[in-house]
Amino acid sequence: MLIKLAWRNIWRNPLRTLILLGVMIFGLMSVIAMMGLMNSFYSNMINNAIKWQTSHLKIHDSRYPDDPDIHFTVSHLSQLKAELDQQSLVHAWSGRHLVNGMIASARSVRGVTINGIDPLTKVTPLKARITEGEWLNDLGRNPILVSQKTSERLNLRVGSKVVLTFNDDKGALTGGAFRVKGLFKTPSSTMDDNHVYVRKGDLSKLSGIKGVHEVAILLNNPEEAPRFVNTLAQSFAPDIREQWLIRDWQTLNPVLKTMADSAEVFNRVFLLIFVVAMMFGIVNIVLMSVFERTREFGVLMAVGMSKRHIRFLIMLESGLMGVGGTTLGLIGGILLVSYFQSTGMDLSQFGDGLNGLGIDSVLYPSVSFQEYAMAFIAVSLATLLSGLYPAHQILKYNPVDAMSEKH
Amino acid sequence: MSIQTIQLCKTYNANSDFPVHAVDHLDLTIQQGEFVAVMGPSGSGKTTLLNMLGGIDTPTSGDAIVDGYNVSKMTEKGKIAFRRDNIGFIFQDYSLLPVLTALENVEFVMQLQGHSEAECRARALALLKKVGLDKHQNKRPAMLSGGQQQRVAVARALAPRPKFVMADEPTANLDANSTAELLDIMQQLNEQEGTTFIFSTHDQRVITRAQRIIVFEDGRLTKDRQNPDYKRHTMSAS
Repeated sequence: MLIKLAWRNIWRNPLRTLILLGVMIFGLMSVIAMMGLMNSFYSNMINNAIKWQTSHLKIHDSRYPDDPDIHFTVSHLSQLKAELDQQSLVHAWSGRHLVNGMIASARSVRGVTINGIDPLTKVTPLKARITEGEWLNDLGRNPILVSQKTSERLNLRVGSKVVLTFNDDKGALTGGAFRVKGLFKTPSSTMDDNHVYVRKGDLSKLSGIKGVHEVAILLNNPEEAPRFVNTLAQSFAPDIREQWLIRDWQTLNPVLKTMADSAEVFNRVFLLIFVVAMMFGIVNIVLMSVFERTREFGVLMAVGMSKRHIRFLIMLESGLMGVGGTTLGLIGGILLVSYFQSTGMDLSQFGDGLNGLGIDSVLYPSVSFQEYAMAFIAVSLATLLSGLYPAHQILKYNPVDAMSEKH
Repeated sequence: MSIQTIQLCKTYNANSDFPVHAVDHLDLTIQQGEFVAVMGPSGSGKTTLLNMLGGIDTPTSGDAIVDGYNVSKMTEKGKIAFRRDNIGFIFQDYSLLPVLTALENVEFVMQLQGHSEAECRARALALLKKVGLDKHQNKRPAMLSGGQQQRVAVARALAPRPKFVMADEPTANLDANSTAELLDIMQQLNEQEGTTFIFSTHDQRVITRAQRIIVFEDGRLTKDRQNPDYKRHTMSAS
């Protein structure tokens, strides 16, 4: 009977109930969409940083990070290659020959990191980001890939000639002429600004250094990265591993780790703000609804309805509205997120700003089951609790005083 | 099973310069099964007396002993259970729950008592039949006339089989026909179910039908007499 009574009481003033439900549905949909956007924002930033900068793991000579000297290549490379090839956790790996130098065209000069790579490895998705021209291959003499941005600054086109200059193994200035094989565009403007790609062999020939300066590794499961650092290190004798610095992406870029954690915190704070704001709204509406019926509650008390039952009735009314609003809001939120998951959220009008942060212009919001559950439980609980204060207020009355109220 | 008040007082604004003695040192006894009208002008303390006897108002001093329970000394929780199981209320403005049908309104208190659904339904239907509203059982109060609503309120008051019914000016909003019908019903139920009825009223039509008439003025009992014109319903019907 109490459920029936609560349900009918809710619909005594349909407009008020519909307004409250509308606020809850719209609010919850907005919160879920925002949570999804923030998740995609952070995960996209982290994924792009892993894809383009840190990989899941990197191995350097132990001295290289502090002093990126051209001579500090990764030692015992053949043993390392053999080990990486037999590790089932490893998805792909690549040895890179890195040199800091200058790129010059007829128009301008810029400082860049020259990446000598093996065109066949697939650690970075650069090949998929070629916008003009072709990916590196064995054909041609000294091909080079430059970013679209660099090409604009140096006035380059596919086929244009550039000169790379840098210090060789003897410290002498050396260089070579390269021909632009392709243009690329990554989600990171920093990456586009500062990196050019050539074949490892071509660069090695000019620098006079054999070997690589870093080994970038992609794993099948990114969660395994911290554990794999130890696994890999334990596979080698101490005198070998002491010459290396093996770091996972979180160690290479601690800001990413902080961001991953802060996304979760941000979503919780956002949800909390919404829940508190919504609680005020619901308390207000339930208060209005309860005080309109003060006399009726007086009659209920008079005929023998216990305070416990009256409190339960009021909480049931707010709870029913809450669960209804939350369910509909959640369904709306899921549909909204699903829609943007399929179409993507095009933020290209903020493209420059996003690219500066290493984020794609089109984001695909995602909300985990745990986050949906958290939103549902938090909002439902909040609405249920919203009935407590109005119930407390009405239960201060004794039956006679309640019945003597005019409304 | 009677009602007894001993020096019962209710004073409003007791600590002010102008205290109002709604009920002033009242000694009264009402026997089980009586059909009593408490009359007097507005503000004479009729409603306050009924409220105190029914346990919805607290006396300033004195005792109200109802069916052996000293209502004045009961805890709030005790009063709620006492009211639910012993007292039926009929209010001037009917005070039915607007979102429930006539049948649901009558069932409601029985459900609070914990009776089974079938039991509640059977009793509520029987009472609605007695008050002549069995055909209107599924109508909400807003769809019933004032007289019909008051009859539902009578059925509601009697549904939990209370020993006492406190009716506060039950006919104040009713026309002559509705008043006569309602009084017939209440008197019939008083005789059939043995329920004690206490009315507050200044409606002459009600007073003439009462078995006993108690007159109040300024919170004091000024007259208490049996009504020589009282006729049992069965006799009046014949």
